[in-house]
Amino acid sequence: MFNENTSEQYGKRTQIDERRTFLKATAAASLAALTQTPRLLANEPAQKIQATADSVILLWMAGGMAATDTFDPKRYVPFEVGTPVEGIISTFPAIDSTVDSIKLTTGLENIAGVMDRGTLIRSHVLPDLGHILHSRHQYHWHTGYVPPQTVAAPHIGAWIARLLGPRNPAIPAFIDIGQRLEGIGEKEELKAFHTAGFLGTEFGPFLLPYPEQAIAAVKPPPGMTAGRFENRDRLYRQLIEASSAAQFANDYHQQSMMRSMDNAYRLLKSPDRVAFDLSLEPKESFDKYNTGRFGQGCLLARRLTEAGARFIEVTTEYVPFLSWDTHENGHETAVRMKQEIDQPVAQLILDLEKRGLLDRTLVVLASEFSRDMMIEGIPGSNAKDQSRAATDVLQEMKQYGQHRHWTGASSVLMFGGGIKKGVLYGKTADERPIMTIQNPITVTDLHATIFHALGIAPDTSMEIEQRPFYVTSDGKGVPRLELFG
Amino acid sequence: MKHLTFALVTLTCSLMFSKQHSHAQEPIDFAHDVLPVLRDRCASCHSNGTYKGDFSIDIRESILDSGVIDLDEPAQSELIHRITSDDPEYQMPPTGKRLTPDQVSRFTTWIETDLAWEEGFTFAVSTWKAPIEFREVTLPPGDGNAIDRILSRYFAEKNIAPSELTNDSVLIRRAYLDLIGTLPTIAEQDAFRADTDAAKHQRLVQTLLNRNRDYADHWMSFWNDLLRNDYEGTGYIDGGRKQITRWLHHSLYDNKAYDQFARELIDPNQDSEGFVQGIQWRGNINASQVREVQFAQNVTQVFLGENLKCASCHDSFINDWKLADAYAIAAIIAEQPIEMVRCDIPTGKFAEARFLWPELGNISPGAANPADRLREFSLLVTGENNGRFARTIANRIWQRMMGQGIVEPVDVMGNEPFDEELIDYLALFLKENNYNLKALIELIATSNAYRRSSVVQLESSSVDFSGPVQRRLTAEQFLDAVWGVAGTFPEKIDAEIDDYGEPATRVRAALVVSDLIMRDLGRPNREQVVTTRDEQLSSLQAIALGNGQPFFDALNSSALRLLDLHAEPAQLIEHVFQSALCRHPNEAEQLILAGIVGPTPSVESVSDLLWTVLMLPEFIYVQ
Repeated sequence: MFNENTSEQYGKRTQIDERRTFLKATAAASLAALTQTPRLLANEPAQKIQATADSVILLWMAGGMAATDTFDPKRYVPFEVGTPVEGIISTFPAIDSTVDSIKLTTGLENIAGVMDRGTLIRSHVLPDLGHILHSRHQYHWHTGYVPPQTVAAPHIGAWIARLLGPRNPAIPAFIDIGQRLEGIGEKEELKAFHTAGFLGTEFGPFLLPYPEQAIAAVKPPPGMTAGRFENRDRLYRQLIEASSAAQFANDYHQQSMMRSMDNAYRLLKSPDRVAFDLSLEPKESFDKYNTGRFGQGCLLARRLTEAGARFIEVTTEYVPFLSWDTHENGHETAVRMKQEIDQPVAQLILDLEKRGLLDRTLVVLASEFSRDMMIEGIPGSNAKDQSRAATDVLQEMKQYGQHRHWTGASSVLMFGGGIKKGVLYGKTADERPIMTIQNPITVTDLHATIFHALGIAPDTSMEIEQRPFYVTSDGKGVPRLELFG
Repeated sequence: MKHLTFALVTLTCSLMFSKQHSHAQEPIDFAHDVLPVLRDRCASCHSNGTYKGDFSIDIRESILDSGVIDLDEPAQSELIHRITSDDPEYQMPPTGKRLTPDQVSRFTTWIETDLAWEEGFTFAVSTWKAPIEFREVTLPPGDGNAIDRILSRYFAEKNIAPSELTNDSVLIRRAYLDLIGTLPTIAEQDAFRADTDAAKHQRLVQTLLNRNRDYADHWMSFWNDLLRNDYEGTGYIDGGRKQITRWLHHSLYDNKAYDQFARELIDPNQDSEGFVQGIQWRGNINASQVREVQFAQNVTQVFLGENLKCASCHDSFINDWKLADAYAIAAIIAEQPIEMVRCDIPTGKFAEARFLWPELGNISPGAANPADRLREFSLLVTGENNGRFARTIANRIWQRMMGQGIVEPVDVMGNEPFDEELIDYLALFLKENNYNLKALIELIATSNAYRRSSVVQLESSSVDFSGPVQRRLTAEQFLDAVWGVAGTFPEKIDAEIDDYGEPATRVRAALVVSDLIMRDLGRPNREQVVTTRDEQLSSLQAIALGNGQPFFDALNSSALRLLDLHAEPAQLIEHVFQSALCRHPNEAEQLILAGIVGPTPSVESVSDLLWTVLMLPEFIYVQ
């Protein structure tokens, strides 16, 4: 996960690692190679991809963010008792953005103010996986593979951690902010993709469910003073030296264990870990982000990116039927959710820009699918209606909004990291069903685009159980080069 | 492809070049710069039995013999002429893209550097083929454990010096952890060390194997991983998955004969049907993950060490299995005729139920319903001639106890074992002992091979056997050990198992729902079959152990309890050290530990003592 080299040296080190891995793979009857340790396959691209980004921040709108109430405004129909729901597409009026061709909906004024810094994709299409369950679509979006799989598929952040390593040896390469994996519904399903899978836990997510408590994860627990912590480590190392089992010092298990302990201590002792401490952020700046856990997560992501993080996901936490998972009362929930995301997302872009980091940091905002008041999935889908506010004619407020899962078109924002500025990509129908009618882009191709920005070919693969497993589904992702400036 | 993969992994690992460079050149990296091109662009016509134009790239010498290389004037080599030529009659490769200038320049450098080669590498296939049936083994003359007799011949032939026999302290710790998963108490350790009986080790092994409850608790983790059984997880809530917990624990407790065990899983009763039923995921799923295909993949992997995952989507490119083979197994359990689907596209062809190896028998054409077919299949898998069934489990158990399989990886039983007779013997032994797994474990645990010191393993170590290899405590062993040192255990068992008329003396980690610490320490999500766990401690795990609140809290409560037991620093140190490592600290260690505990032990200092000892590699690895 970490290593002691500086980021500049890292490229070199990776090459050596790959060479070693490769040798081990092709050349070794060594144990490490013969057992199930995954290895990088040596099918290098004919042409090296020039990376346009060094780090990625994924802003995850968990639960299914309705495009027509956020980034893809259509004809606005205000709430009025007696209105047939069939005619309702957007429940918010459109607003201008800093790009003439791009309109957003009310409540996203701040993001509208930074649209000239990025690209808005309205044509992200998702598969109809039968029941259209959040957990399966979230798994698909995060790993690039439709579950279930015969081997545990790695999260995109784990791939990036495995292939590029940390930017700063003291900052974990894959950080996940805002999602609990215990004590909530569908936790098993969430765990299934919050993992490095077959890549091994070394590349798994460093979980920070509560941004304000992030610092606790990297400093000694309450009751443990810094001095005692240092002392314990010092004596521990003395004890290993003195141990009568010292003959195993060269054993590769032991060496890898000590490397991991060193890595842990490097983070726990690093001056860079102040990046985890939101209390150190000036109040004025903190307040700009502080719309709740998601907003704080954006701030934490900014601080960690400054400190040298590689891949960060910040999520509006997924809890069934909360946040973007609006099966009723969609309009009022969307008002609230937009309040939660609008200011911090815009501020994140501005702050990264101000610090000169936006050029090399790819920020992606996405969701597992969109929502539509009328149709489940895509036209013709046999998925059952999960709306809890089904009605033909509006009678009360809770029926107003986007409630049903919709995979025909969802919106994605991309900023920085070489992505074009002030561009609208893709187009959707103006009348229901809101299908993508131009430039559809799948998860596979979207991932290929993210990997491309990082200089990773879409058919990069690792061998597991003697089979190649690719960063994009079956290696078939095609990056959308036209999205790059 | 299979052949190549095989040939590639038979290379010995050496970062050195076979020859010194004759020119002051940027050294060429054969494995990285040359081999991939040879493999991708030349091998199909010029290696491994196919030698178009009488040109063989199998080994360095065969390339030199062919005369296409001019070591004195590399650029004038026929090879270079051909790979740079545009003449369709002359150029190589004859079709496809021309090699890039960079690739050509690497080839030139390669020739300039004396055709650097990887020692021992060949493109030629090993002709070794894994037998399916049992094979008789003639034991070398001599007394003692059959394993040692076979290995003595192996050591002599391979010219390997095995490691020395280890001491009592290492041995008792290893035996406890391997057989029942927990650490011996100090009293048990002392009694073992004091025992002068020459057969004390054998007695210890038998005693441990007779602790049915502890044995069952321990081996639950291994089998839960293999059979992807858990106490909560995807599918359990909505009826898409069924536990086999009670059946499994009981089968281990009773040491059910392994062939019977497998038959009850394959041709199940109500309590054991969860395994073959697999996981019914909600929504539309990939054709290779419908329950019938899961069945085909998992039964063959777990019981036969064969990989049908590739073949369940298309004809395999890693082994000889075809799509039709995978579906033939799926058809055994299918209620309705099952249509073969290639890469998610229906083929219009329907699969016919049949066994993998017709020489061992087949599903009778008259078996019209799944129940009949499953019964026949269970009998074929566990049939008296199916040596693969016995070899697969014998190898898994050997791997658990020795840290390295006789065949590696343990799920690719088609690979060549480090010693054929050893695996053949163990398989036969198992069959002749009515598939008594405890008898097999006892045979292994009482061998000198098991009693040897662990061998230091470098990353480049070969698969040759010279002694056991260190292996990491599983998450469950780790927590059981940590809880055991201070006697602090979870309050209740989550696994729904019998109490066998006697309440458990302690709650074992294998029987509670996985938590953050266990996940951190490598207990897997059991949605896929897991047959080996990660042997390496990751950095995230190190952070959780070095810094995490849950582990810190656990140490504090252990420290509190230890302070009740022992007030004197020396006693505390002795207790913790001996409980955890099964030996007395040496003088230097004592001194350091005394410095940690201080003259007046406190919760803080005892917690630090615990942490320091529990983080030692000697604790975390079974030595």
